[in-house]
Amino acid sequence: MSHSHEHGHDHDHTHDRGHHPSLVIEDEAGNIEGQIIIDALQNILVRKNLLAPEEVTQEIEKIEAPGEHLGARIVARAWTDPEFKERLLANGKSAAAELGIKVGEAQLIVVENTEDLHNLVCCTLCSCYPRSILGQPPSWYISKAYRARTVREPRQILSEFGLNLPDDIELVVHDSNADMRYLVLPERPTGTEGWSQDRLATLISRDCMIGVAKANAAA
Amino acid sequence: MVETTRGYHDIGGNPAGPVPKDELPWLHWEKQVEAVRNLLGDGTRRIISLDELRRGFESFGIEKYSSLSFYRRRVEAMIDILIEKEVITRAEIEAEIETVRARWKNV
Amino acid sequence: MKSRFQTSDRVRVLHLGKTGHIRTPFYVRGKVGTVSELCGYFLNPEDLAVGKTAGPVVPLYRVSFRQTDLWPDYQGPAHDTLCIEIYDHWLTEGQEAS
Repeated sequence: MSHSHEHGHDHDHTHDRGHHPSLVIEDEAGNIEGQIIIDALQNILVRKNLLAPEEVTQEIEKIEAPGEHLGARIVARAWTDPEFKERLLANGKSAAAELGIKVGEAQLIVVENTEDLHNLVCCTLCSCYPRSILGQPPSWYISKAYRARTVREPRQILSEFGLNLPDDIELVVHDSNADMRYLVLPERPTGTEGWSQDRLATLISRDCMIGVAKANAAA
Repeated sequence: MVETTRGYHDIGGNPAGPVPKDELPWLHWEKQVEAVRNLLGDGTRRIISLDELRRGFESFGIEKYSSLSFYRRRVEAMIDILIEKEVITRAEIEAEIETVRARWKNV
Repeated sequence: MKSRFQTSDRVRVLHLGKTGHIRTPFYVRGKVGTVSELCGYFLNPEDLAVGKTAGPVVPLYRVSFRQTDLWPDYQGPAHDTLCIEIYDHWLTEGQEAS
């Protein structure tokens, strides 16, 4: 391609071995170049009647809509309704549908944390993530450091996120490499008896549904 | 038989530094890349599937794969596959990029 | 294609030596794990990546591995595991658990 190739070197990124950063961040020129390239591609596809601009706008709205609030609703319902929780653990996609939440991926597997077991999710090969419910993954999830190290040194990764798991707790890492997508069902924090689902949802972060954190305490 | 094939993207277990905690915003052009790919892969078009997109960036070569940002990889992979399928040509996309870039400069 | 394995079967991941788009990571090839469930039947991504959509669908399993079996230098307790999805044609019978 004849366009200039720009990529960002943000001053506080980290390098894995070799000279490429773990997460390549575009600088302003790189982002402009990205906009130019996708605009150019879209123009050609529109001229060839393969796309309409209005469709692209609509699709952008559609992909912007999901976010951690949807995952938090699922978790809060599971915390307060044991029968829903069993259905959720058996078939995440159909249980989410009961709440009006459409899972666009092949299947959603919900993995439950207990006092004896903690789950952690990654995708070593690319960036598979339950986007139709949680939205886009955080940048660190798609970094080469997270993808490379989580399967091999998960406890060290958790420590980097501030979660020090005692050895007597079993740690299960899920590499989301094929058609399934994963959601961690975190443990319900103590001191939340009688809370409404909406109030419980305020304790449920994106990070605890990936597994790098526990749900927030009921402070 | 000892495994001899391993894609450069197949990095599970490789050594790496600390996880960068940058929380980057999701920019408009990045959403547009995803939206275009979703539409091209939908039931009415079926022009690029997610699997073909992945094959695209797994075929860049390690240098290009390692030096491009996530969404830049996706748009470049889309372009490669569209050219492969003769939906567009390399000359077409390069010309259009120059046209769009000229408009940016004149704004 | 009929599924060849059931929950609790011991399975070994094959070295198929395939090139092209593969969803079986290098780090599990040759390793022995336990089938934890059959996820269902899906078109093979190795074929989908080159536009072959005719099928047949392939069984996909979740397979669980002891981390200490995957990594000689694993720093963590012996009960830690890793769970990953593997397509039927990448698997053969594994040894009995010792």
